[in-house]
Amino acid sequence: MDEPVVHISGFRMDFADTTVVRDLSFDVRAGETFGFLGSNGSGKTTTIRALLGLYEPTAGVLHINGRPFKPEHGSRLGYLPEERGLYKKEKVMDVMTYFGRLKGMDRHSARQWSLAYLNRVDLAGKAATQVDKLSSGEQQKVQLGVTIMNRPELLILDEPTKGFDPVNRRLLMDIIGEQKSDGATVVMVTHQMEEVERLCDRIILLKDGTSEAYGTIDEVQNKYGGRIVRIRHAGPIPPSPHYEVTLEETNYAELSITDGTDEAAILRELMDAGLVIRSFTTTKISMEDIFIRVYGDHTQPPSSVPARAAAARGA
Amino acid sequence: MAQHNLGTVISFEFVRTVTKLRFWIGTLSVPVIMAVVFGMIFLSNTSTSTAAEAQKNAQFSISYLDASGLITPADAAAFGAVPAASSAAGIRDVQSGAVDAYFEFPAHPETTAVKAYGADRGLFENGKYAAVAQAMLARAVAVKIGSPQLSRLASGSAQVDTVTYQGSEVSGGMNSVVPPLAFLVVFYGLVVLLAGQMLNSTLEEKENRVTEMILTTLKPTTLITGKVLALFMVGLVQVAVFASPILVGALFYRDAMRIPEFDASQLEFDPLRMTVGLLILVGGFALFTTTLVAIGAVMPTAKEAGNFMGVMIALIFIPFYSVSLVVSEPHSPIVQVFTYFPFSAPVTALLRNAFGSLGIVEAAVVIAILYIGAALMLRVAVRLFQYGSISYTSKVSIRTALRAGSRHAVAGPAEHPAEK
Ligand SMILES: Nc1ncnc2c1ncn2[C@@H]1O[C@H](COP(=O)(O)OP(=O)(O)OP(=O)(O)O)[C@@H](O)[C@H]1O
Ligand SMILES: [Mg+2]
Repeated sequence: MDEPVVHISGFRMDFADTTVVRDLSFDVRAGETFGFLGSNGSGKTTTIRALLGLYEPTAGVLHINGRPFKPEHGSRLGYLPEERGLYKKEKVMDVMTYFGRLKGMDRHSARQWSLAYLNRVDLAGKAATQVDKLSSGEQQKVQLGVTIMNRPELLILDEPTKGFDPVNRRLLMDIIGEQKSDGATVVMVTHQMEEVERLCDRIILLKDGTSEAYGTIDEVQNKYGGRIVRIRHAGPIPPSPHYEVTLEETNYAELSITDGTDEAAILRELMDAGLVIRSFTTTKISMEDIFIRVYGDHTQPPSSVPARAAAARGA
Repeated sequence: MAQHNLGTVISFEFVRTVTKLRFWIGTLSVPVIMAVVFGMIFLSNTSTSTAAEAQKNAQFSISYLDASGLITPADAAAFGAVPAASSAAGIRDVQSGAVDAYFEFPAHPETTAVKAYGADRGLFENGKYAAVAQAMLARAVAVKIGSPQLSRLASGSAQVDTVTYQGSEVSGGMNSVVPPLAFLVVFYGLVVLLAGQMLNSTLEEKENRVTEMILTTLKPTTLITGKVLALFMVGLVQVAVFASPILVGALFYRDAMRIPEFDASQLEFDPLRMTVGLLILVGGFALFTTTLVAIGAVMPTAKEAGNFMGVMIALIFIPFYSVSLVVSEPHSPIVQVFTYFPFSAPVTALLRNAFGSLGIVEAAVVIAILYIGAALMLRVAVRLFQYGSISYTSKVSIRTALRAGSRHAVAGPAEHPAEK
């Protein structure tokens, strides 16, 4: 159990003369759900492709179960690529049985499994439909089904929920959750921070092709201040060693609390400085805030946009 | 596991091809076109007989021996024919080129076939020997008409067996050319009908974005080999469909389809030439399949691949344009180039094999070229597919893809900023 399922160290990837990933190292442990996060173009998909042998890495070690991945090793992998696609001119059931058989199931159990799955995701009537006659969300459901056929030990999902409505997103998260409780190790790329908080045990944040933060969600939150204070106020906020102002608008501000400082002390300090405080709440810093802090800082003029809109823009 | 996957790939690819309506429209159109062609031959039979008239008048030197006593020296002189000293001498004269033809009229031409020996002048000319022999006989008996036995001869329907010579070797004439030539016809049919599909078989994974799923599920070699074998099976189905109207025609409508001097029962199946033809057909088909599959792995879309397909199709038709050269001067440099250049080799070699001008050593070399070429192309196709097909939207640089396959690669598929 000690050996990590995924082991990456010193990974570097160059395309022609641009370096996309540099000196990236991390492990994914058996049975955990691992969030692979980063802004657009930070190198997540590239790393996954290199891990699965689709790209030849420029340098570094990328191992699954202790060796470079080869499909013929027979480890049960479920990979949902970022670029989705199925054989469009074939029937849903034919495509599912084909992949089921390639993954080592016999024809009968592949069919049984597919029927049950289609039923579960509300596609019971579409087994004999040609794939390109399905909506894109429906096609994605079929593709997720193909991915989790034959109970994978390792699931690698590159943005599994993109393009789903909220109801189906919930359904999908449930299905992934079941895989996890069945003992699968899950590596998941997502831009939905609430999914990260709900599902992931540990995460890595990629920035400019290398690790910006890596650890459990708590550890990462602590790295970025851990707790934050949101205030509605009037008057200028004084500088202090006990907090850092991370967002300041006319009547609203967010402060990240320096390690070891008590919230009550900060409230007292602000009031002593003559600020009018209308509301004062403390929370754990959200993954979304961390994301914006890491990737948004040089693109946001911090004083002009409300926090939520900035989040939407940054994500 | 791998073995089992190969079977899975083959059956998936095969079944999904032959269950498509489009496949049957394409495949069945070939026999329909052939039926139309045969129909036209049938309708133009009348004009063919006028062509035979012209051949009868064509001048060539003849010696003859007449055991029936029907042909007077005057009749013979009208055709410029001179008596031969003996049967052996007549044949020897043909072989040495002293005369163009030697006719041997039997004692009972109404029951026994006239024998005609002539220098091999190729498919379309050899018919003149029989025509002229018949004409000589017809003219000779015309004066003696009155006996019913003789009037049958006068109608020009005495049987003539023609033997042609290339130098002193007996050449089979059309009867020995047709069977091995069938491989050429099959080759054209297969390549023209299946080329699009060969190309699309790897393009499809790309265009449908299935490559990543596939490549992480099974070995690319298994996938590509499976696809190639499935195409072979599809090809076999098509050959069976092509062959069916010929068989039906040969069995039931032989009379209606009769081409002058062509009688299916007289076809000669030379085992060596047939084996060589089959090997070239299979090797050529394998080479074209693997090459088109490799092209498919490099091209981003069917549209761009289409241009390449045009080139490939042109390559198989170019030797056909120079068919007369291939047949008459098999040792000219250009024909040699066509024979050994892998992509023109199948057509050229199949033509030469049919006409008997492909020596056994040459045949062995061509066959080796085709099979080794196909094996190499298979490896190239696998590699291009493996390292090239993730760049869904841009053309793969062959150099980078191949280099990526080698151990100390510099990078994956590159040279273009990504899609986003
Ligand atoms: N085949 C390629 N050739 C050249 N450059 C590439 C190639 N693939 C990716 N890149 C570049 O590598 C960088 C990282 O791309 P990648 O797809 O890994 O990002 P990502 O983190 O998955 O982004 P997203 O969140 O948008 O999916 C991008 O700048 C992209 O332009
Ligand atoms: Mg990506």
